[in-house]
Amino acid sequence: MGPLIQLGRRLGLYALAAWVALTLNFLLPRLMPGDPAQALYARFQGRIEPAALDSLRVTLGLSDAPLATQYVLYLQQLAHGELGTSLVYFPEPVSAVIGTGLGWTVFLAGGALVVSFLLGSTIGALAAWRRGGWLDTVAPPLLSFLGAFPYFWMAMAAAWGLGFELGWFPVRHAYGPEVQAGATLEFVASALRHALLPGATMVVASLGGWVLTMRNAMLVVLGDDPIRYAQARGLPPGRIFLHYAIRNALLPSLTSFGMAIGFVVSGALLTEIVFAYPGQGYLLLQAVRGQDYPLLQGLFLTITLAVLGANAVVDALIIALDPRART
Amino acid sequence: MILALGLLACADPVAPVPPGTMTVLQEQQAAWVRNFNPLLSTGGARWPTSAGIYEPLLIYNRATGEFVPWLASSYRWTDPARVLEFTVRPDVRWSDGQPFTADDVAWTLNLLKRFPALDAAGLWTFVQSVEAPDAHTVQITFTRAYSPGLALVAHQPIVPRHVWEAVADPVAFANPDPVGTGPFTEIVRFDPQVWELGKNPYYWQPGVPAVDTLRFPAVASNDQALLALIDGEVDWAGSFVPAIARTYVSRDPEHRGYWFPAVSDTVFLYPQTTAAPLNDARVRKALSLAIDRDLLVKVAMHDYAVPSHPSALSDGYRSWRVEPPSDTWVRQDPQAAAALLDEAGYKIGADGHRHGLDGAPLELPILCPAGWSDWVRAAQTIGHDLDAIGIHAPLQGLDFGTWFDRVSRGDFALTLGWSVSGPTPYAFYRGLLGSGTVKPVGEPAPSNWQRYSSPAADALLTRFEATDDTAEQHALSASLQAVFADEAPAIPLFPTPAWGEYNTTRITGFPTAEDPYATLSPNTVPDALFVLTRVRPRSAN
Repeated sequence: MGPLIQLGRRLGLYALAAWVALTLNFLLPRLMPGDPAQALYARFQGRIEPAALDSLRVTLGLSDAPLATQYVLYLQQLAHGELGTSLVYFPEPVSAVIGTGLGWTVFLAGGALVVSFLLGSTIGALAAWRRGGWLDTVAPPLLSFLGAFPYFWMAMAAAWGLGFELGWFPVRHAYGPEVQAGATLEFVASALRHALLPGATMVVASLGGWVLTMRNAMLVVLGDDPIRYAQARGLPPGRIFLHYAIRNALLPSLTSFGMAIGFVVSGALLTEIVFAYPGQGYLLLQAVRGQDYPLLQGLFLTITLAVLGANAVVDALIIALDPRART
Repeated sequence: MILALGLLACADPVAPVPPGTMTVLQEQQAAWVRNFNPLLSTGGARWPTSAGIYEPLLIYNRATGEFVPWLASSYRWTDPARVLEFTVRPDVRWSDGQPFTADDVAWTLNLLKRFPALDAAGLWTFVQSVEAPDAHTVQITFTRAYSPGLALVAHQPIVPRHVWEAVADPVAFANPDPVGTGPFTEIVRFDPQVWELGKNPYYWQPGVPAVDTLRFPAVASNDQALLALIDGEVDWAGSFVPAIARTYVSRDPEHRGYWFPAVSDTVFLYPQTTAAPLNDARVRKALSLAIDRDLLVKVAMHDYAVPSHPSALSDGYRSWRVEPPSDTWVRQDPQAAAALLDEAGYKIGADGHRHGLDGAPLELPILCPAGWSDWVRAAQTIGHDLDAIGIHAPLQGLDFGTWFDRVSRGDFALTLGWSVSGPTPYAFYRGLLGSGTVKPVGEPAPSNWQRYSSPAADALLTRFEATDDTAEQHALSASLQAVFADEAPAIPLFPTPAWGEYNTTRITGFPTAEDPYATLSPNTVPDALFVLTRVRPRSAN
């Protein structure tokens, strides 16, 4: 079977998965108890008139139509790229609400993921290469130890200690309040400075996983026949390390990386809340609290598509890299 | 890489806040969404849209118990409690320079009739017609005598006809560039993480506002709000702060302060009164007598709250409360509680538990939204107190949506809950005792979750609606308080404090316990307008 047919079959599977996800996406919010008007009303905790509940129902235009009708309408709107109107941020369209956070989330969580992946894989590969050396003795247990901290606690400790008490880093927002967003060096510097601490906490929390995966895969590969053959032929160690060992050991990490890329858009919920970072995670929380079906659907849709998309790309990459995947 | 490190290494340029700028923390949002529609009932508009950019006709001042003339210079009833006449100020202008007239008021109120989605206060459930006979007079005719309607009409934000007339669908209108009469109307800057509101060049109060710009940084959590407060970055906030004297004030006692008056809604333990044993007032009173409220406010509310008054009215209704109260059913007295339960027939069995009339041991689970740590602690304290009189009352924490759904449908035995508030005790007692708010069990009810109605209270409430005489309203309120304490439809625990913090390093003039011209909390709307028009930069002292 040729790689193209293989790829085509995979894409078909992805389409099926997308449809199932979209349908679940439609059903799940509707299975939650209560209705959005009630949820909005409840948020005021008696500060608004009970009569407001009626006006909220009218405002939100809640539909009593049968589920099947709503489902057809939902698919039609999706086909036109319409995600509807957010209820919590009424009357803002869902796409605009998601637009406020998506870029920052991709920047922060995506950046942290790439750094963590590159750094972790490098450390893991080096640790395995010099098995029993100081790096191999210190890095995996130390990083696993750091990764085992409850993330929320670690992020708050970092925000408090490094950001607040020592004042080395800004403790909130994606860029400084005095900086205007735009393509200026000042803005880029400010954005980087603001991403450093939250990004670093995410890297510290996830680094251990990448190190262990890479180290284990590397150990297996280093014990394989091709590497011994290469060593027996007297190839320089640097060449063996880069061209033969890493390339093969990277495959399992690459799969995890693809999965992780997809989940980047779901937002680093805790990071964003602790550092008041304007991203997707906080929106998701708001949407669940406010039973904001359209916003929930929009967010899940971006997450679903990102996960599926990233997996499709990784699949294609693996097919290109690994001859065994082509059969 | 080196460039990036170089950029990061250079000191963080902390630009000083321009003088005359007041930083306010009121809403908790991760990113701001530009919406300044004051008529939306969804709460989607940014604070202070409804009372700051736009303004009401009158503002009820809870500190003094009086209506303060605002866009209207005066009001009177031309037909008692039925026809209301406002005289609007002649010198008010919209922020685009156009004059504000009675026609704007009439047009706004009539807009709510055309778009019920905007009628958050339900004005058109009792208003018959609104007219502006001349440029300074608005006449509002009610369908029946309904004096509580005054506060609802008076607090309605008014929008300019000449702008809103052109808006095809005001319900879906985000009003990105508002034109209002309020002290602050100009959007100086709007970014997802910070926005700034400048002053109205045409504001009608001379020399007001003294502050040039309000700044709103987006802060998503209480922890972040706390950091910003401690840092001294914020001038005015309405957050809950634990151990505030130590965490916040002690860092600069000269400038920092807080004031948490017990004026917000009262937190109740609601019994579902349609089923035994909670359909018996003696049982409900026994539960109330079992609770140690002094301990409760210490454990659950960090000692910021005070035990409820027997009338359940918070300090926001101080002028309405009968002192001293006739009944002390909110003070702990386990012996009296036990006697009431014995009298009602719920005797202690051999197992040490009280048993129902059907012989089964009494078990009354207390519902509470999981994660509301203050309420969870309150429910645990109550459960402990009820155990002491032989009633098992385990805490049942639920997801917020599930909790509210069950409570509003009447599917519970006991639950914690908030209450309805308004300028007079009318709406408060109507939600506790009035038959008009009772919905059948299974149907969601916005208030009166306990599903209790009292014929005695109904008669008093009807008389309250029919009179615009304040003295008579006070007399009726006194009778309502007696009915409430007698029938015990719900068990009052403590009034919620109105959280408010200030920092006078840059801005002064905030209300305090010593100068209570308004509530300090920015969360109490429209009272926040009193503060917005009083505060001034320190240099301008």
